[in-house]
Amino acid sequence: MERRAQWLRGVLDLCVLGALARGESYGYEIAQRLEHGGLGTIAGGTLYPALLRLERLGLLATDWRAGSGGPPRKYYRLSDEGAATLRSAGTDWAAFVGNVNTFLEVP
Amino acid sequence: MTVDDWLAALAAELRRRRVDPAGPVGEAAAHLRDSGRPPLLAFGPPVAYAAAIVDSLRGATLELRRPPSGEVRLRATKITKRYGRSTVLDGVDLSVRAGEVVALIGANGSGKSTMLRICAGLLSPDSGRVELSGTVGYCPQDGGTADFLTADEHFMLVGAGRGSSRAAARAQGRAAAAALDWPGAERAGEARHLSGGTRQKLNLVLGQLGDPDVLLLDEPYQGFDNGTYLDFWQQVWRLRDAGKAIVVVTHRLSELERADTVLDLTPGGPR
Amino acid sequence: MKKTLVVAEMALREVSRRRGVLVLLALLPLAFYYSRRGEAYWQSVRFVSLGIGWTLSTAALFAGNAARGIEPRLRLSGYATHQLYLGRLVALWTLGLALAVPYFLLIRFDLDDVRYDAIALILALTVAVAPPLGLAVAAVLPRELEGMLVLLTVVAMQMMLNPDKAAAHALPFWFTREIGVYAVESGAGPDHVVRGSIHAAIALAVFLTLVAIAATLRLRRRPHVSIA
Repeated sequence: MERRAQWLRGVLDLCVLGALARGESYGYEIAQRLEHGGLGTIAGGTLYPALLRLERLGLLATDWRAGSGGPPRKYYRLSDEGAATLRSAGTDWAAFVGNVNTFLEVP
Repeated sequence: MTVDDWLAALAAELRRRRVDPAGPVGEAAAHLRDSGRPPLLAFGPPVAYAAAIVDSLRGATLELRRPPSGEVRLRATKITKRYGRSTVLDGVDLSVRAGEVVALIGANGSGKSTMLRICAGLLSPDSGRVELSGTVGYCPQDGGTADFLTADEHFMLVGAGRGSSRAAARAQGRAAAAALDWPGAERAGEARHLSGGTRQKLNLVLGQLGDPDVLLLDEPYQGFDNGTYLDFWQQVWRLRDAGKAIVVVTHRLSELERADTVLDLTPGGPR
Repeated sequence: MKKTLVVAEMALREVSRRRGVLVLLALLPLAFYYSRRGEAYWQSVRFVSLGIGWTLSTAALFAGNAARGIEPRLRLSGYATHQLYLGRLVALWTLGLALAVPYFLLIRFDLDDVRYDAIALILALTVAVAPPLGLAVAAVLPRELEGMLVLLTVVAMQMMLNPDKAAAHALPFWFTREIGVYAVESGAGPDHVVRGSIHAAIALAVFLTLVAIAATLRLRRRPHVSIA
């Protein structure tokens, strides 16, 4: 579990970008997408700082929308740089994982 | 802790950091409503979450360590120091680059302060070399101030050594003090009347005066309240981003993730 | 030069905040003066100068000890060692002069039948020797209590020892008695002034050297450090 948490730390930002590739979303819904994708429960204390970082780096664009019968929500979507980063990171990741698999002799 | 209490504490902590709480609190509230989980489980203590928010906004990250790339500003090689029969430091190596923060940790008596003083050139080792590239600022664990002088007078005295004019030294000192949540430094009286924590802030500000390239800080946060302690690390990261080489001696192990590199002086441990 | 003056200015500011020291500086010599003002008035001159010598060297002792904490940092900030102790000395000499002038005026208008120029010389030499003495004691004895006891012993012996004894010559303020002879005795010759001045010059040189060596040793640039 400790190891898995460390792996997740390294790729969480990229997974968030990937989750938003399917379309814009807001905080809790993004957490749901990650959880349903098999990454386990992502605590709000981890997710929102990551979203803020990605926004500050210009990889996400955001806007607040009035919620249906509730207070406004902050929606996130990929910016052009975000999409580009996701593509190039995806390639790097595939190469990295390939090498690791060789060491671990994963068939 | 009820949700409302937690949200209120978060808002207060963010306001304390001069960050507008509306966005983060609104998102957190929505998340808690949607997930139905208790706030301490979903986000952790409000102060810690506020710190994480502030870090994300200001560019320093808790989780990602940046690999340092600047030139080496401090290189200590094979430092050995003996006091009587006991060997306090045994062939210790340390190198710090521009734009890097190194945390120097170890048990009590493992020689952290001694190592720092040797690097500052205030103490001679029994063997070993220290190479410095640039000016050095040093902040001892305590002391380093004059009882009967005011903060402004300290700024002018230390600043004059680096060739700053009085006005420039005062301005720099006051700005550094404000960054440590001490906005009234110029109105403060003699140093002996300052509280322990405030006096340490003065100590830390004096170490930074004149923009030295290498900063050697020996647990300078004694007596700081938690907020100022976090301000201190913000300041350290800001200085790191500005290209300074910084060594912080600390025994608070939870700080390990706040530094780029960690050197553990506990004997028998990895170096 | 400028850095030395900054050190001097801050040292003066520091002293000016120590009310107790200032009161002692101002009044203790006065008490010494009046203790002999009655029948043996000629001893007043010697006692007042010893009083000034004692309190000024004590002020220097405190100043030297107080500086110890901040001097390493000042060295790192770019001060040369000599700027640090010279600045402190300039401040203390200035303080001593500010103290000596009123006392000279007091003697000028209170005592007759004495040579005022010799008295001015005694006071000036005392002011010159006292700060280096105090700083030298501070350098050798890092705790104030021991330092104060040493200075107290020096002054007490100064008062009690017969000045003709060889041991008395070793005391730092022996010259006050020697030149004092010329100042109060109409029959005395100027050779007393010469002897006294030489003694004062030697004392001054010895203590200045002690201060310089101690400071240079303590604050030296260590050989294990090389700066690119």
